[in-house]
Amino acid sequence: MLGRLPPCVIDVGTGYTKLGFAPNKEPQMIIPSAIAIKESAKVGDQTVRRLTKGVEDLDFYIGDEAFDAKGYSIKYPVRHGLVEDWDLMERFLEHCIFKYLRAEPEDHHFLLTEPPLNTPENREYTAEIMFETFNVPGLYIAVQAVLALSASWKSRPLHERILTGLVVDSGDGVTHIIPVAEGYVIGSCIKHIPIAGRNITYFIQSLLREREIGIPPEQSLETAKAIKERYSYICPDIAKEFAKYDSEPSKWLRKYDGINSVTKQPFSVDVGYERFLGPEIFFHPEFSNPDFTTPISEMVDTVIQNCPIDVRRPLYDNIVLSGGSTMFKDFGRRLQRDIKRVVDARLKRSETIAGDNLKPKPIDVQVYTHNMQRYAVWFGGSMLASSPEFYTVCHSKKDYEEYGPSICRHNPVFGTMM
Amino acid sequence: MILLETNNRVVEESISVRIKNALAGNKPENTNIFISDYAGVLFHISNLEGQKNQLRVSIALKFYTELQQHGATELLNRVYGSYVTEPESGFNFSLLVDLEKIPNDWELLVKKIGQFKRNCFASVFEKYFDFQEKGEEGHKRAVINYREDETMYVEAKADRVTVVFSTVFRDSDDIVLGKVFMQELREGRRASQTSPQVLFTHKEPPLELQDTNARVGDEVGYITFVLFPRHTNRAARENTIDLIHMFRDYLHYHIKCTKAYIHSCMRAKTTDFIKVLNRARPESKKSNEKKTISGRSFIRKD
Repeated sequence: MLGRLPPCVIDVGTGYTKLGFAPNKEPQMIIPSAIAIKESAKVGDQTVRRLTKGVEDLDFYIGDEAFDAKGYSIKYPVRHGLVEDWDLMERFLEHCIFKYLRAEPEDHHFLLTEPPLNTPENREYTAEIMFETFNVPGLYIAVQAVLALSASWKSRPLHERILTGLVVDSGDGVTHIIPVAEGYVIGSCIKHIPIAGRNITYFIQSLLREREIGIPPEQSLETAKAIKERYSYICPDIAKEFAKYDSEPSKWLRKYDGINSVTKQPFSVDVGYERFLGPEIFFHPEFSNPDFTTPISEMVDTVIQNCPIDVRRPLYDNIVLSGGSTMFKDFGRRLQRDIKRVVDARLKRSETIAGDNLKPKPIDVQVYTHNMQRYAVWFGGSMLASSPEFYTVCHSKKDYEEYGPSICRHNPVFGTMM
Repeated sequence: MILLETNNRVVEESISVRIKNALAGNKPENTNIFISDYAGVLFHISNLEGQKNQLRVSIALKFYTELQQHGATELLNRVYGSYVTEPESGFNFSLLVDLEKIPNDWELLVKKIGQFKRNCFASVFEKYFDFQEKGEEGHKRAVINYREDETMYVEAKADRVTVVFSTVFRDSDDIVLGKVFMQELREGRRASQTSPQVLFTHKEPPLELQDTNARVGDEVGYITFVLFPRHTNRAARENTIDLIHMFRDYLHYHIKCTKAYIHSCMRAKTTDFIKVLNRARPESKKSNEKKTISGRSFIRKD
């Protein structure tokens, strides 16, 4: 086991940062991407204001500790997946590496992630921080969507390990639909859906509020979240599902038991239709959001139709899920069925228009579900970083010194059967 | 965070998640985690041959045989007692936690496992602190190659224990920062009378190591700590070990923090300069086109 130390994989997201060492299946630490710093009331530019004397630049906390710290102000260095404040980001990484990973950065290779549509300049800044401040021997910056794609390889045969596919990434805030062709993101076709985990929680909360009276108001969000995570699933047909519940309530109704945090009295909640209605808003967004009514399956179809014609079939054939909000039971199956319907309807139409002259080849739609979905991006990173090829595609410190930060603008795709 | 922590949070977290899971009565999950620590230490948390309720924590240190000469195994046996088990192949020392028989004070146990690496190091120091306490002189100096090209020497005299670290700076800037940092440490003695004496030599080993084959070179630095009975007595000993075994990492951590600080200064300066540059734009030439009240324009000829 002795030899090269394991590479570090750090996935800094808008909400949470996942960090850990390479061959592992799950990140070792999941902390909020927040940093708590002392702020002075001085006037002037922010960067100048923040400069302090002495050891005050070491006086900060990150992650969960940031929220516990009194007298500090909490900042989020990452917004919408992009790093906004590099000063704070540098200090955030300082703690990630030295306090949580406890890695001497000179000994480990690093794999960092970036969102699709990250600017090349940002990659250069990242490289500067990693090579100049931390003296890392090697750095690779991977696109999150590509990592999510490669995370799905684990459960599939070797010849299916392709880097063309559509990633449906649904976390807490937003759902992204990202087409990837041969390892490169088709940036112009990315679409976002304003429906994700948090919206489902809110929706369940509102359903409970109308019916249940026992829930303490300050705990209603927490309760809704627990119900979502524990009992929710996706149903094939709502009307039938309602009928099922009404005919056999004892089989389908669940009970959630909680404890009031103030009075310590137990309370219980009946869990009924919200079990399937909650996640249903992916497919019927009008239930919770009157401004947005396009179901996720139609969005996926639109995204693929916007893509270059030669990748459309491979994209339909490889739809990969990633993120915690895609973990609902049967989510993949329902998505596959709904997309298939849209696609088949279109083929049928073109067949009738063309008359008997043309018989289009049917399109295969395949949605892949795997058990690493929750931290798919991190897992994909860990998998790639533990392959021997990783060391050959990493940008080395020597190259950095020879050519400068611009070498990190491009990170070659690797690990495929191409 | 000025001092680095001595416990490994990731190890603690990984174990306590599993203990809590077992206490809640859930089915134990498969475990196979590799975690690394400073000084090239590698932890491996796994299940014992497919028994999911047996959690094995192993540690691998490249220099364990050197520590063993100074009683590392005995110390670890003493600290972990009944949790010690046969070392896993490829690793130096293993602990076994039975998830079915979790002691009531498991949080304490987790804390103790978090200190695994520190306890490995502790043996050398304890041994030499004991020599000093008993006034035994003339023992061979302990040599621990704690990193590939970096070494630690511990030597006991009747009135003091000397600890010498050699460290390699991979970057030429690091040498400068390291030197300044060490100077500050030496100055620190004035502020706090009870702190140990610190000496820093660059390129060449200090006098104590002159007859050894200690490395000489531009990128090598030597740091000598002279610990007096004030630091090595029973009461202060634990804290001294906590601090001194991390010293090399502490030094490099602060060099990196300094660089980060310099970078933020540079960023602040850059925004300043950009402001100046923006102000320095040449004023656009005044046109002498005027407008009449009805909106027509005309050019005034002066």
